[in-house]
Amino acid sequence: MRAELRWAAADCRARPGQALLVTLVTAAVVTALMVAGVLLQDAVNPWQRIFSESSGAHVWLHLDAGTGTAALSRLDGVDAVAGPYRTAVVTVPAGTGKLPLELRAVGSAPPRISRPLLRSGRWLDPAEPDGVVLERTAARAAGAAAGARLAVRTADGRTRVLRVLGTADTADSGPCPDWTPGLGWVLPGTLAAVGPADGRTGLVAGLRLHDPADTDFAVQQAVTALGGARVARVSTWQQVRTAGELDGRLLGLLLGVFGLVSLVAVALAAAGAAGERVLAQVGDIAMLKAVGFTPAQVVRMVVYQHAALALAGVALGTAGAALLGPVLPDPVGPAVARWHELPGGAVAASGAAVAGGVVLLVVAAVAAVPAWRAGRVPAVPGIRGVRRVSRLSRLARLALLLRLPPALVLGARDAFHRPLRAGLTVARLAIPVMAVTVALGSWATLDGFRAHPERIGLPAALTARAPGLSPGAVQRLLAGTPGVRAAYAGVETEALVPGQTRTVTLRGLGTAAAPYPYALAEGRGIRDRDEAVAGQGLLDLMHVRVGQWVRVTTAGTPRILHVVGRSIEPEHNGQMLSVGLDALEGRDGPPPPQYWNVVLAPGADREAVRAALAAASGGRLDVRPVANPADRLGAVRVVVAGLVAVLGLIGLAELLTATAGGLRDHARDLGVLRAMGLTPRQVTAVVTTGTGLTALAAVAVGVLLGLPVSRWLIDLQGRSSGIGSGIAGSPSPGALLLTCAVAVAAAVCVPVVPAARAARAPVTAALRST
Amino acid sequence: MSSTAGASDPVRGPERPRFPRIPRPRLPRARTPRPESSAPSATPATPGAGPHGEAVLRVRGLVRTHRSEGSAVRALDGVDLDVDRGEFVAVMGPSGAGKSTLLHLLGGLDRPDGGQIWLEGRRVDGLSEARWALLRRRSVGIVFQFSNLVSTMTVADNVELPALLAGASARQARTRREELLGELGLADKARAVAAGLSGGEQQRVALARALVNEPGLLLADEPTGSLDSRSTRDVLRLLTRFHEQGRTIVLVTHDARVAATAERVVSLFDGRVADDAAVESAPRGRRTTLADVLELKG
Repeated sequence: MRAELRWAAADCRARPGQALLVTLVTAAVVTALMVAGVLLQDAVNPWQRIFSESSGAHVWLHLDAGTGTAALSRLDGVDAVAGPYRTAVVTVPAGTGKLPLELRAVGSAPPRISRPLLRSGRWLDPAEPDGVVLERTAARAAGAAAGARLAVRTADGRTRVLRVLGTADTADSGPCPDWTPGLGWVLPGTLAAVGPADGRTGLVAGLRLHDPADTDFAVQQAVTALGGARVARVSTWQQVRTAGELDGRLLGLLLGVFGLVSLVAVALAAAGAAGERVLAQVGDIAMLKAVGFTPAQVVRMVVYQHAALALAGVALGTAGAALLGPVLPDPVGPAVARWHELPGGAVAASGAAVAGGVVLLVVAAVAAVPAWRAGRVPAVPGIRGVRRVSRLSRLARLALLLRLPPALVLGARDAFHRPLRAGLTVARLAIPVMAVTVALGSWATLDGFRAHPERIGLPAALTARAPGLSPGAVQRLLAGTPGVRAAYAGVETEALVPGQTRTVTLRGLGTAAAPYPYALAEGRGIRDRDEAVAGQGLLDLMHVRVGQWVRVTTAGTPRILHVVGRSIEPEHNGQMLSVGLDALEGRDGPPPPQYWNVVLAPGADREAVRAALAAASGGRLDVRPVANPADRLGAVRVVVAGLVAVLGLIGLAELLTATAGGLRDHARDLGVLRAMGLTPRQVTAVVTTGTGLTALAAVAVGVLLGLPVSRWLIDLQGRSSGIGSGIAGSPSPGALLLTCAVAVAAAVCVPVVPAARAARAPVTAALRST
Repeated sequence: MSSTAGASDPVRGPERPRFPRIPRPRLPRARTPRPESSAPSATPATPGAGPHGEAVLRVRGLVRTHRSEGSAVRALDGVDLDVDRGEFVAVMGPSGAGKSTLLHLLGGLDRPDGGQIWLEGRRVDGLSEARWALLRRRSVGIVFQFSNLVSTMTVADNVELPALLAGASARQARTRREELLGELGLADKARAVAAGLSGGEQQRVALARALVNEPGLLLADEPTGSLDSRSTRDVLRLLTRFHEQGRTIVLVTHDARVAATAERVVSLFDGRVADDAAVESAPRGRRTTLADVLELKG
């Protein structure tokens, strides 16, 4: 054992650069995987933790006021009912805009089921009739801490000041402002004061189920028992959980996928380096065997060495994740910073240990093949494998025909005269190139989100709301403002899906005559009043395909719609069914528009149009920019940049291995060439041409494979997140060319120093060495 | 052999015998030359006790054929050999006679295609590679012409490696290494990297490494093949001294002057034993080794 360790340590000292490189890339991969693990866990964990701690309800039913809910507690599979609570929706100022807030009337003692978990301040107190407790993310969105005063605007335009008594966590709703309305709790008396003047409040009831898997069935039963017309909206625990994990999950998946690809690349690089090292040390290994090393000991020696390097990498990577993670941009940094504070920290730590362990195992395991080869090195000194003799390759002969310089011809021959070996080298180099191409594809996709929002279903740059203006006036105002190309009136309403297991958002926007410019990935646009387009999330939810008919129920009215196309839907997890506004026409004409989506003329400045609209309406038009998913995904760019750096390092390690292999393979040939009269410079050129051509082949293979893989992966991600496939952008040709140029330049530059050293070594030494 | 050299001689070192002598009577040197055609059928039924009693090494009908790309070269073609305890045998022959192949087979570095080998009374030709490795640690030390040392390790590590392998503690290994290097005049080179030493120094370190476990048998394959005359003299002196301490040595060389250091010379030709004679019975009459000659001159 001691003897093996001593050899392994001496060998690492003899090639510090390579050992350091392997350790570094291992560390980088460990960091990536650990941060990915934390993100994926963090994405799920807070909700899960809060849900169990607060005895959360699995289903929330938003009902018309006056609905009798006694039937709910008698339903099969329902353990307990939360509420019903009376509710009223108010708005509070949040930054430059407004935040809708749902206030629930609860008692002065926190409810038993779905109990809000107080995080700061105190609970409601009858002595403070104007007190409100806000859900934590809603409080943050509204910029209100415990003790602050909050001006709430009621639905009928009155303003009333409430005092924030505390903030609390709940598993009832997703994080604000992505999930609206935000949530607050008040005493019944307060609700009466801020509720609608006619006293018509809403009602909300939560169901805690015996088996969470029965959610769909429970919703169906509840809607049947209460009457479909009385159920305004249903939210389930799955929806809340998904809402909370959206961003972190996407990043976590991205990091995880890249981490795994990098792990494969690192494993191959480590195996290549180990194999090359074994071949370079055949003499030493034979000697060790003569001294009395058994084959098993030689195998162990190589494996221990790589396990030690991997272990160092894992330790470094763990430290890197702990130190670097918190300074990364939102949402990565905060998630990693919270890592240790969470009650689930132990789970996260064990996850990190698993990530480290997997990396350690993989890197040590791939050393097994070179180690096995080392074990089989004959103990008789001076015996080398039979050299494969090959004629000049076609490429080389072609080069000779073209009267190219000899260095180029010989380099070309060197690169490919052993097809299997050359193929393996090309494949190993191609993997990082492929991963870089995928990374560039992700980058280009984000660029596409920003540069062409209309292609991801966001043709409108602004939305306008005007509670105090008539629809006709708004339409005239919008049409008359320069820079506005078109304005589409829209409404959004909740619709129950068949089986009444949950609600989806039904959006009426544009008309059959003037359809909204959806970004259609499949099928065609809306041409008739009974036609609809749907997001991928909705198609998956309802198990339908484009071309089929669906039945949904809004406010008790069943509607049968023909899904004629699939639109890219960045909102509501793609669970969006879109029709023309005229399709929602009731007995008394089309419903009043809730908002207008404003499509700008090409080249128009969003902020200028916004200011012009605000001025033209005298401030009565509330115009806001449409949120772009790219805004929330800024951290993706940091992640992608970091990964490209790691992949570059891996490529560098592969290049070093390839160079060492090339030099060792041709050590004697180079001696012969020099004896024949090649100058040292020409000899260096032979070697660099060899690696350069190998890299060129690898870059070609990597890019050609990376382009479809990138498209497929991004579309897969789009599909699974509900946005739908069809969002993938292709890396820009410039970026690809730059990647290729950098890779080939590195391949030409990396071997220069060792090749020059080999070229200047005495010819006799080179001739004797084999 | 003269023993007039002072204790300051870096190669010879002080005269105190570091290795405990194995007490045994000196064997008579004269032996009948083995006929070239000695057939394997002449093998005694019970090996181990040869005609002279203590055979450390006993070889019968050893055959080894090297095959490469269709052509086959019979490197050894039925070699018989007995080496008694304490003997210093030189194996001579022209290039391609099978000298090195024989040595590799004796050390278990290579497998014979036929024939038997007994080492200290134990049949070893069928041993697995791992068993051979275990055997080499304790019983066989080997020195080659080239690539004797692990190039990336220090001199100290190179010497300690076999000791550690044989189960010595780090402290024991260090003590033995310090003694041996001191004796070979290399104490100040302990921290040097092996690749940085001169050829002669490398061979001396290689000897130290081969002897650190005090093996019963030392195999040396052209240990002076790439050295100048001064280094050659140093190495041969060391070999002679180890022989005097009771060690059994088999030395392969194509250099008659080097072979003259030994007390018995076995000549190989085309894979067969062509001659086997004690040096004292050689026509020269007086047993003068190269070491002696050089020492007289120097």
